[in-house]
Amino acid sequence: MGALAAAIAIGLAALGAGLGNGMIVSKTVEGIARQPELKGSLQTTMFIGVALVEAIPIIAAVIAFMVVFQ
Amino acid sequence: MMYEYGSIVTRQRKWMLYLLAILVLGTAFTPYSRIFQGLLLGSIVSFYNLWLLQHKTKALGEAVAENRSVRGGLGTFSRLAAVALTVLIALQFEEHFHFIAVVIGIVSSYIILGLDILQRMIAGRNHPSDN
Repeated sequence: MGALAAAIAIGLAALGAGLGNGMIVSKTVEGIARQPELKGSLQTTMFIGVALVEAIPIIAAVIAFMVVFQ
Repeated sequence: MMYEYGSIVTRQRKWMLYLLAILVLGTAFTPYSRIFQGLLLGSIVSFYNLWLLQHKTKALGEAVAENRSVRGGLGTFSRLAAVALTVLIALQFEEHFHFIAVVIGIVSSYIILGLDILQRMIAGRNHPSDN
């Protein structure tokens, strides 16, 4: 059961992060392609957004490994 | 410009390096070396994750602005793999690394990111013309 719990935790977290990152990156690429002079500002927003979105699967990975190996 | 990417990246790296220096001092000069070693291990991986994200974000932005094709993604899998490796090391060598400290170290870059945003918001409120 531990392996199943770990798989569900990391799988759902990765699914959410993938969807979130995809939205962020697609909108940023669209924005930079329209207005390249706003690259710095859009990059910063994307960087902060991606970092915050990725915090969840990273914590999920830690929890999954704790469940499996402890 | 309100958000200059280069300055944000430099400032975050500076804060991470300060944190790593403090942790090295804590490891060397305090009796809680197991906790500080765990924090140091987690923070090193966190710094790698932060650097990788900054590097990949910059590369993606430049590629899109110059109308080049984008090669590779944002390095999400590399970051997850780095964290997984760190957790395995911490679990394998539990006598050297305090596990909870390792986890706190892994999220240290997010703490620094949040504090940096907060500090910029406060500075922007006090001196609107500076930002």
